Amino acid sequence: MPAVVKRMETCPLCGTGFDAEGQGCRPSCPMASGCRVICCPSCHYSFPQESGLAGKLRGLLDRRRAAR
Amino acid sequence: MTRNPPAAAAQSERLDKELREAPRTVILVGNPNVGKSVLFGALTGKYVTVSNYPGTTVEVTRGSAVLDGSPWNVMDTPGTNGLTPMSEDEQVTRDILLWERDYACLQVCDTKNLRRGLLITAQLAEAGVPMVLALNMADEAASRGFQVDAPRLAAVLGVEVVPTVAVERKGLAQIQAALPGARPAKLSVRYDQAIEEALAVVTPLMRETGGLSTRSLALMILGGDDSLRAHLEATLAPAEREQVEEARRRAASRYPESLRFVISKQRLAVVDRLHDQVVVRGARSAASDLGRKLGSWSTHPILGVPILAGVLFACYEFVGVFGAKVAVDFLENQIFYDRLVPWFEAAVRFLVPWKAAQEFLAGPAGVPFREHGGFLVGRYGLFSMGLSYGMAIVLPIVATFFVTFSLLEDSGYLPRLAVMMNKLFKRMGLNGKAVLPMVLGLGCDTMATMTARIMETRKERVIVTLLLALGVPCSAQLAVVFAMLAGVSAAAAAWFAATIVMVLFLVGWLAAKVIPGRGSDFVLELPPLRVPQLGNVAVKTLARIEWYLREALPLFIAGTLLLYVLDRVGGIAWLEQAAAPVVVGVLDLPRQAASAFILGFLRRDYAAAGLFLHYEPFVKAGTMTRAMEVEVVVALVTITLFIPCIANFFMILKERGWKTSLAILGFILPFSVGVGATVNQLMRWLWL
Repeated sequence: MPAVVKRMETCPLCGTGFDAEGQGCRPSCPMASGCRVICCPSCHYSFPQESGLAGKLRGLLDRRRAAR
Repeated sequence: MTRNPPAAAAQSERLDKELREAPRTVILVGNPNVGKSVLFGALTGKYVTVSNYPGTTVEVTRGSAVLDGSPWNVMDTPGTNGLTPMSEDEQVTRDILLWERDYACLQVCDTKNLRRGLLITAQLAEAGVPMVLALNMADEAASRGFQVDAPRLAAVLGVEVVPTVAVERKGLAQIQAALPGARPAKLSVRYDQAIEEALAVVTPLMRETGGLSTRSLALMILGGDDSLRAHLEATLAPAEREQVEEARRRAASRYPESLRFVISKQRLAVVDRLHDQVVVRGARSAASDLGRKLGSWSTHPILGVPILAGVLFACYEFVGVFGAKVAVDFLENQIFYDRLVPWFEAAVRFLVPWKAAQEFLAGPAGVPFREHGGFLVGRYGLFSMGLSYGMAIVLPIVATFFVTFSLLEDSGYLPRLAVMMNKLFKRMGLNGKAVLPMVLGLGCDTMATMTARIMETRKERVIVTLLLALGVPCSAQLAVVFAMLAGVSAAAAAWFAATIVMVLFLVGWLAAKVIPGRGSDFVLELPPLRVPQLGNVAVKTLARIEWYLREALPLFIAGTLLLYVLDRVGGIAWLEQAAAPVVVGVLDLPRQAASAFILGFLRRDYAAAGLFLHYEPFVKAGTMTRAMEVEVVVALVTITLFIPCIANFFMILKERGWKTSLAILGFILPFSVGVGATVNQLMRWLWL
């Protein structure tokens, strides 16, 4: 199953905000297992979810922004 | 199909009876993923029926509710972005609104994406549909500093506007109270004179359907909605149909873009004004006048071209020159070959006590690694070749490309790039919607092949899949191509670019001619242009690098392993000999390019990286001859037109089936070599 984390995402192409759950790579992809690519339900643009190291960096930036 | 459990058959029967007897219907409408189904569940309770909409495989859920003491049918429709359908799902939603009678519409809107929701509101208002607007996810919007003045929006629209949090049932009671008094919204859109004149001809010819106003139907017809063709044929006389077509042709001739695009654009302008009136704070629809102007110039048919050229040139300078020259040189030579490889070799010799094992892993001591066949450190060593390809050659190039891509995304230019390329792709025999998978293909052809599903017909899906596999280089390959082109003259780079564009053009055009079917329009909402935030760009780039490392690096290692095994059993020499008639005889390339081509099937960028390494010393020394430049162009053309990677081939197999996949493969392999050979002959004849 895709390794998509359930949270709100914003599509970088059309700006739609959406819940990432259920929007992960389709099982028909031979590399879907562990894949973090998600697909915008509005315009179908695909992009990797910011989890792992990128997720940690995002968290750090968000915390710094909130502290300011 | 009924989703309720067998034990609840009695309740199901009761529901069917209620549905039959209920005099009125509530239809839930909204963009995808806005919480319609949650609100539907909250309104109807546990027992619902799910059935395919007649003639389609699209599911529609029905339930019942008691509103103001009376029973009501409740229908949940597939998510849509407008009433002029661009997919089967959207057509089902539009058809429900078109053919149902005496209903109230509950439009569910994601407050965070209010602008998109208001675009549907404007169309429901044009259609005269009695409605209530639910501003769902109001809590998430507020937490992001985005607040909407709901009373003001209600006053402007003249309908009830209820902020809701569907998952917590907040606002549910107000919706239940408001639905019986639902009324059409007052928002009206006045289009250009040419469109209004066409509407004045078409609207009186439309027959009432019960659901949508005749003006709304006329707008769909003007927008080229083919799904209404059967309805028109059934309700209009041939002379009336000719009048409609004539009015549509006359209006369309006044604009360079399609009428659907013009209508959407003018509707969006009204929505933008309303949006700015009711958004109290947070994201307004445009940051500044300059942002608005730049945004508009970047999609302008004339002004947009120099902007596009400037953006592409900046991408080339950053990726092709900085990434491929400065960063690769630093990582490959100063970090990898001068430090990491010797350190790793020393560590292997220190940790492995047996001489035979040392020689197997790191080759004989004192011999340069490129001259022996060590398993980890050697000519085809997993560390010295696999990791150096992945980390020292391709990674710096794709990392700079990913930075560029993230900047394009974060600035809002990427969708504008899609709009500009839309015009180009239309000339290639593709319909405008194909832009998305094609642009996505510049990121990853494998996921872009999957995205070809958004195309409406099999013909379109096959053409897009073919062109993706044939001529759209993925980010990693594009980056290496940029790097290779940075080492040759501008004329040689132009030969490459012109060949690929011409091939895409020709194959797309021919495929569109050969395969019957029709195209459709591409409508994409354009977010405002903005200054990219460096933090965001860093996070996006890091996410993509992680994705690249997870997907590409294992294939690089597998490719190196295959090369190592082939080298040990003498397979490379055999392959080079077997491929020599094509590689040397037809393409005039060095014999060593054969292994790069064969392994290019694992990943095109792997093959390109091999070629990069072959020509790098000449580029650095400034001793590239014209004949070498021809070789580089021929090799790049052939590899670019090759199957992108093994993952992409499996995806084509999964998506299109054996027959189409083998047909695509059977076409691409000889075609790529044929084009490479033609370019070779032409360049040698005209350029050398």
